[in-house]
Amino acid sequence: MLYSKNKIALVDCNSFYVSCERLFNPSIIKKPVIVLSSNDGCIISRSTEAKVLDIKMGEPYFKVEKIVKKNDVKVFSSNYSLYGDISRRVMKTLKQFSPQIEIYSIDEAFLDLSSIKDEDLLKHGNKIRKTVLKWTGIPTSIGIATTKTLSKAANYVAKKEKSGIVNLINSKQTDEILSKININDVWGVGRQLTKFYIKNGIKTAYQLKNMHDSWIKKNTNVFGSRTVMELKGIPCTSLEIYQEKRKNCCVSRSFGRKVTKLEELDESITTHCLNAAEKIRSDNQTTKRITVFIRTSPFQKDKNYYANSKDIDLPVRTNDSIELVKQALIALKYIYRKGYKYQKAGIIFSGLNDADVYKKNLFSSINSEEKRKRLMKAIDYTNIKYGRHALSIAQAGLRKKWNIKRQHSSKIDTACFDFLPTAKIA
Amino acid sequence: MKLLLPFHLHKVGAGFPSPATDYVEDDIDLNAHLIKNIPSTFLIRVQGKSMNIIGIHDDDLLVVDRSLNPKNFSTVIANVNEELVVKNFVKEKNQSFLTSGSKKLKDKINLIENPEICIWGVVTYVIHAL
Repeated sequence: MLYSKNKIALVDCNSFYVSCERLFNPSIIKKPVIVLSSNDGCIISRSTEAKVLDIKMGEPYFKVEKIVKKNDVKVFSSNYSLYGDISRRVMKTLKQFSPQIEIYSIDEAFLDLSSIKDEDLLKHGNKIRKTVLKWTGIPTSIGIATTKTLSKAANYVAKKEKSGIVNLINSKQTDEILSKININDVWGVGRQLTKFYIKNGIKTAYQLKNMHDSWIKKNTNVFGSRTVMELKGIPCTSLEIYQEKRKNCCVSRSFGRKVTKLEELDESITTHCLNAAEKIRSDNQTTKRITVFIRTSPFQKDKNYYANSKDIDLPVRTNDSIELVKQALIALKYIYRKGYKYQKAGIIFSGLNDADVYKKNLFSSINSEEKRKRLMKAIDYTNIKYGRHALSIAQAGLRKKWNIKRQHSSKIDTACFDFLPTAKIA
Repeated sequence: MKLLLPFHLHKVGAGFPSPATDYVEDDIDLNAHLIKNIPSTFLIRVQGKSMNIIGIHDDDLLVVDRSLNPKNFSTVIANVNEELVVKNFVKEKNQSFLTSGSKKLKDKINLIENPEICIWGVVTYVIHAL
């Protein structure tokens, strides 16, 4: 009986956002469907039927509008609250099959299958796919191999197979499969490295795997070597099972239309600041530094282009919305210039740390701090109970004219009573 | 979506302490009662007419578990004519049918003759406001 030590499965949801939209809308099953990025800018998810129409990933929507009209492609604005809830369900389902799981992105996870016998891997993988599909309605593809990089490669091929699953453990086809994978599709090989490898005649994963160690070491960095080792079947990265708390928190949005006035930028920065503060409070963290940034469209001609950012180091670490908004607006005032058409604004909290470990400042008064903490708790509780932005601070504005475009949203949210999916009685 | 109701075992007061205090006192959890399998359970709102025979009305909430297989007379959500609809699942002589609860024959859909129709999930509870 063969028993490989390291067995890793990469489970990837097929056209995840499209699959989420299809789950509650049977009328778009088997039809070409695309999902747009926030602000309805670019294409970020496509059904197989849309891929056939030569609609490319990441392409701006306006470029494909003709194809969309001609072929009656169904278009959706991204609905992240829905995708987030379905993603949690998929991940919870996967945990039933292996408690050792690394959630790699909203629609991908690495699973440690080392306890499964080699000859049972395919059967087990198929059971995972079947269960995820039945429980959550989301189709997946699975790649199984001895390293993360190889399982990514296996998954890449599995997506194109009807079976939806490829197992490279004890497989004689590994080299054949690797030679079908273009160098730019290898996990960990970015744009720059791709250019470099192609210049040196390395066009496929198979060619990269067979490069000499010394050449790789001489010409790339430690990450480059890792990728090659992992292609050879030597594990270099383990699963990151425990999610580390974030060190930064960024909230930014493009505007639905161009914004010129400081008051409108104030509103948007305040809203982003409140969102970010709520996020770090939910992780029981505080921030040391705020960065505010604004910019016009990068396609503006030189004279009309403007981008700037401002950092503020806080005297005392905090997660207090009121204090953070105050500081953020000071930073914004500092970088705001009249006469530009702004397209994007955002805020970054950095140097995040656990709220419990912060040191008292000489100037901080304990009494008012406790009161503020209670106020923040009350705000978060109210917003969880009555919906986002039920309780806010006045600077955030009420109308939010600048808010993002979501013209094609399905408006379904499986985790909110007001927007539940519906079924008819017929 | 949390729904927790306080569940008191005894009143606080002087005198003989309740013998029940040795037992763990916890809030009653309606979620735990209604949802057996969290990742596969969805809440779906009913739209349109009512299905009086089974006691489902317009605007009710249905607790739907996708992980279950329908049994005879299960209430199910099915994908019929590009729509999600509430139906009754009935088995007769090794054949499965969907009905709308009425006895009219034309409402009976044979699942083997209509392979494009699939069961979306099994309804486990109806939440109806009075």
